[in-house]
Amino acid sequence: MGGDSKYLGLAYVTPYIIGLLIFTAIPFVASFYLSFTTYNLMSAPVWAGIQNYVELFTRDRTFQRSLGVTLSYVFMTVPLKLAFALFIAVILNYRLRGINLFRTAFYVPSVLGGSVAIAVLWRYIFADTGIVNMVLLSVGAEPVNWFGDPKYALFTITLLRVWQFGSAMVIFLAALQSIDQSLYEAAAIDGAKKWQVFTFITLPLITPVIFFNMIMQTVEAFQEFNGPFIITDGTGAPLRSTYLLPLYIYDSAFRRFNMGYASAISWVLFAIIMVLTLLAFWSSKRWVYYAGDRRS
Amino acid sequence: MKTRVSIIFGLAAVLGSSVSAGAVDLRMSWWGGDARHAATQEAIKFCGDKHGHTVAAEYGGFGGHQEKVTTQLAGGTEPDIMQINWPWLPLMSKDGSGFADLATLGELDTSNWTAADLAAGTTNGKLNGLSVSTTGRVFFMNATAFEKAGLAIPTTWDELIAATPKFKEVHGQNAYPFYAAGLDALLIVSLVTTQMTGKDLIDPATNTVAWTPAELAKGIAFYQSLVDTGTIQSWQDAAGSGNTNLQERADWIEGRIGGAYQWDSTYSQYAGPLTKGQTLVSVPILKVSDALTDGVYRKPSMVWSISARTPNAAAAATILNCLVNDEGAIAIMAGHRGLPANAAAAEQLLASGGIDENVVAANRLVMEAEGPTVSPYNEHPEIRDIFQSTLEEFAYGLLSADEAGETIIDSINGVLARI
Repeated sequence: MGGDSKYLGLAYVTPYIIGLLIFTAIPFVASFYLSFTTYNLMSAPVWAGIQNYVELFTRDRTFQRSLGVTLSYVFMTVPLKLAFALFIAVILNYRLRGINLFRTAFYVPSVLGGSVAIAVLWRYIFADTGIVNMVLLSVGAEPVNWFGDPKYALFTITLLRVWQFGSAMVIFLAALQSIDQSLYEAAAIDGAKKWQVFTFITLPLITPVIFFNMIMQTVEAFQEFNGPFIITDGTGAPLRSTYLLPLYIYDSAFRRFNMGYASAISWVLFAIIMVLTLLAFWSSKRWVYYAGDRRS
Repeated sequence: MKTRVSIIFGLAAVLGSSVSAGAVDLRMSWWGGDARHAATQEAIKFCGDKHGHTVAAEYGGFGGHQEKVTTQLAGGTEPDIMQINWPWLPLMSKDGSGFADLATLGELDTSNWTAADLAAGTTNGKLNGLSVSTTGRVFFMNATAFEKAGLAIPTTWDELIAATPKFKEVHGQNAYPFYAAGLDALLIVSLVTTQMTGKDLIDPATNTVAWTPAELAKGIAFYQSLVDTGTIQSWQDAAGSGNTNLQERADWIEGRIGGAYQWDSTYSQYAGPLTKGQTLVSVPILKVSDALTDGVYRKPSMVWSISARTPNAAAAATILNCLVNDEGAIAIMAGHRGLPANAAAAEQLLASGGIDENVVAANRLVMEAEGPTVSPYNEHPEIRDIFQSTLEEFAYGLLSADEAGETIIDSINGVLARI
C-alpha cells in the first residue's frame, strides 16, 4: 500500500475512532475508575476503594434480588426467542406463494423494536381489561393479573422481547438457505423422515449461526431497559419482580445520585456477560460444527 | 474627510459592540404539559423581545426531567434559567452553591414574595430558588357519581367507608368510592399518620423520623382497612392496569371511581377526561376521628433557579424578572403553574379571571388547611423508594403492619443519617 493510500485509509476510519474513543472507550475506562469512588455527580469523586463492591455482595438485598430477576429473564428470554425465531425461519424457508410478503410481515415487529410506543402498547394488551384477558374470558378462562401478580409480570416483559425475533429469524433464514440441497436429496433417497432431516442435517449445519444468535441475544437480554422501564414506570413492580439490573443501574446513577455505585453494578454486569460468553465459547467446541470441521 | 470617516467607523464599532454585548442568547428549561409549554414559549418570546435577548426553550414531561437536569449540572451544561422541583434543591445544591444566589441579582424583584416563600427556596443563606406557587394534595370527588348513588359527598374517612356498600350497589362491585395505590397509597398513609400524630414524617430538629413504629403501623393498618372494606382497590388489582395513569383509566373516566387524593393544580387533568355530565369537586381534607391536625401536605410546587455558572446571570435575571413580575408575561403564563406565589401576580390573575376557578378553589383548600411543615426530604428518591417498596410488601402480604412500620423507620433513619 502506498503512503498516500495509507493516510487516506486513516482519514476514512478517523471519525469512527474518534466516536469510539469519546462514546465508548473513555466512558468505559472512566466507569471502571468511578466504580471505586463515591460520586454524587454534584461534587468531585472521592476514592472509596472496593467499598462499593463489598456493599454489593454483602449487604445490598436489592442487588441480589435484581441479579436473580435478570438471570431468570435472560434464561427465559434467550431460549424462547431463539426457538421461536428458528421455528418461523423454517416455515418461511418453504417455497410458498407470497412468501416474501410473509417474510416482511414477520420482520415488522423487529423494525418497531422495543420502542416506547410498543412498550405502551404492551401495557394495554396485558392490562386487566386488555385484549389478552378479553380472549381468556371469551373462552371461559379466568382473567390473569399480568402486571399485578409477581408470578406473571416478568413473563409479560419476556414476551415483549421474544416478540422482537425478526433479526435472529433473518439470520437463521439466511443460514437455512445456504445449506447444500444435495444433502437433503441424499437423505430423501435414504428414506429419512422430516424430523430426522431436521435433527441430523439442518440443525448441525446451522450451529454456527445458533451460536452467534445465542451470544448476541444473551448480551442484548442482559441490557434490557426500555420494556420494564416504561411498563413499570421504572419501579420494577410488582415487588421488584421485573427490576432488571439496568433499571437498578439507572436508579442508582440518576435517581439516587450514586454514580460510583452504579458503575460498580455495571462492571459486575459486564463481568457476568463476559464469563457467560467465555463459557459459551468453551462449550461451543462440543456442539458447534464449522465447514471443514474434522468431526463433520 | 479621512478623520470624519474614522469617527463614523469608530462610533459604529462602539455602538455595534454595545448592542452585541447587551443581547445575549439564553437557555431555559422546564417540565409540564402541552398547555404549559405553549404558554411558557409565548411568555419567553414576549420577554425576550422586550429585553432584546433570545431565549431557547428546552422542555418536556416530568418523567426523566430530574435525571436530565442532574446530568446537565454534573457536566456543566445546564440552561441559564431552570424550573426546579422544590425537593430537588437539597440534592442539587446541598450547601447553596449549586445555583446562583438570586438575592444578589439586582435585576430580579422579589418584594412580592412572602418571607416564608423566600425561606423555602433558600439554602445555606443563599436564595437558590424563587417559589413559583404553593401546592398541596387535595381530595377531588366525583360529585355526580356520589349523587347517582344517592350519597352525599363524604366529609370524613368514616363517612367514605360507610358510603362504600351503596356506591358499589349502584356502580357495580368493581367500583370504588376512592382510589389510592402506589404513591397515592403512600401519601394516604402519610396523611393519616400525620393526622393522628400531628407530626410530619421527618422531624427537622433531629433530622430523624418523627413517628414511632407503632404510630406508622397504625397508619398502615388504616390503609388496609380501606382495602378490606372495598373503599379502595387493592395494590395488586390497581397494578393490573399496567401502570396506567388514573385519569386515563376507564373506571375513572366513567365515574366508577369516586375520588382521589391529588395535587390541587392538576384539577383539569382529572376533571377533563370525565365523560360529559360529570362534575369533579375539590373538598376539604378527610380526617380520622381522633385527628390532631388536617395534616395537609403543602409545599412550594417548584422554584425558578439560575445557573451558578452562567456568564449571563444579569440577562437571565432580567428575563426571569419579566416572566414573574411583568403584567404581560403574567397574563400569558396565567395559571399553568398554579396560583402564583407572587402576590401581585395572583391578584392580577384573580381579578382578570386568568386562572381556572376550580384550581383556585382547590388551592384555597390547601392554603386554609393546617398541618406541620413538610420536609423536602419526604421526596428524597431513596426515602420515597424505601417507603413505597416496603408498603408494597405489606400490601402483598409479605410483611405485617408492625414489621412494615419498623422497616420503613429504620431504613429512612439510615438514609437521613447518611445525607
